[in-house]
Amino acid sequence: MINELLLQFGQWMEAQQYSQMLVAGYYSYNWVEATHVLSLMMCIGTLFIIDFRMLGLIMPNVPATTIAARLHKPMIIGFVIMFFTGALLVYAKPVETIQSLWFRIKMILLVLAFINAWIFNARMKAADGSWDMDPVAPKTLRVGAIISLVLWCGVVAMGRYIPYDWVDCGRTDNPTILWAAGCVEQLRAL
Amino acid sequence: MLNSLWSRYTRTLSLVLVLLLAIVLELFEVRTSIYGNALPFFEWMRNSFWFGVIGTNYGSFYATVQAVHLLSMAVIGGTVLAADLRLLGVIFRDIPSETLTRGTHKCFRISLTVAIATGIFCAAGVADKVYYMEVFWIKMLVLISGSCFVFLFKQPLLNSRPHDEINPWTLRLLAVTSLLIWFTVAATGRWIGFS
Repeated sequence: MINELLLQFGQWMEAQQYSQMLVAGYYSYNWVEATHVLSLMMCIGTLFIIDFRMLGLIMPNVPATTIAARLHKPMIIGFVIMFFTGALLVYAKPVETIQSLWFRIKMILLVLAFINAWIFNARMKAADGSWDMDPVAPKTLRVGAIISLVLWCGVVAMGRYIPYDWVDCGRTDNPTILWAAGCVEQLRAL
Repeated sequence: MLNSLWSRYTRTLSLVLVLLLAIVLELFEVRTSIYGNALPFFEWMRNSFWFGVIGTNYGSFYATVQAVHLLSMAVIGGTVLAADLRLLGVIFRDIPSETLTRGTHKCFRISLTVAIATGIFCAAGVADKVYYMEVFWIKMLVLISGSCFVFLFKQPLLNSRPHDEINPWTLRLLAVTSLLIWFTVAATGRWIGFS
């Protein structure tokens, strides 16, 4: 049911004039994709600096919460641009992207990364500041930082896999993969 | 007189000499002749098992290495932003810039090493194509210039004395140059994929 709805939504987007214009224009699509990757550097790069500090791998002599607070703004700016350009990339190739297994895994990892960031922030605010100058953060925050690193590495890897067609709808007849990728027509044909 | 001039302005004169050398090499078309001679090396990379053959035949491995390349570029971006925006006085104003630049440099070095290693593998898989791409050579030139700029000029200068003894405009110029260089490296890298 959800796969049918997503496919209909994708087909509706694909029929839009601006979607076709975006994908037809060589430079427009490439500029959006290049901006997406550059904003990814800004967002994930600063996020990793925060995580590395929590793990004591970088700048142990600088208060951990100060690094987190000062890098928050560039990280959010990078994320907003990354999200907006990412949405445009989906809008340009909606059916192909919605029916990509890698894109779906990427979205799940993104949601998990959000939940982890929310818990991480809440724990950082709840913890008293006595650890702030310690070379490594308390265990709960270190675990949060490791989870964040793993999830974002997964997000980047899945994003990198999207252009590859190993498990595209027309390339596999495995029912589980077809269901997970939302290949409605191929599933019906089985 | 020449000796005293050299000892006082070693770095500046070295930089001028490097720039002059680059201009001379360009005028006598040395750079373009190096490109021509590099073709057999690219063909060797494309056909060698550990580089080209693995990269071509194992698509999932190639894509994973690309992801590691992208992640290392992201960490480079993070360290460059943190250090250079501090030099520009945009963020981290309450932390000494010496602490920030030294603290992020080790991470930058490791990320650059990973980015170069994974980049060589990625380029080897499509060596017969990238050799003919103008944007690839632009990236290589900017990458070499950027590495020389960081390791021979920026870091030695920033480590040589407290930053409040360096002209603020020199610090700002260093930061802007560094941001532009690494932005160009990342942008041209992305453009290789489109070409």
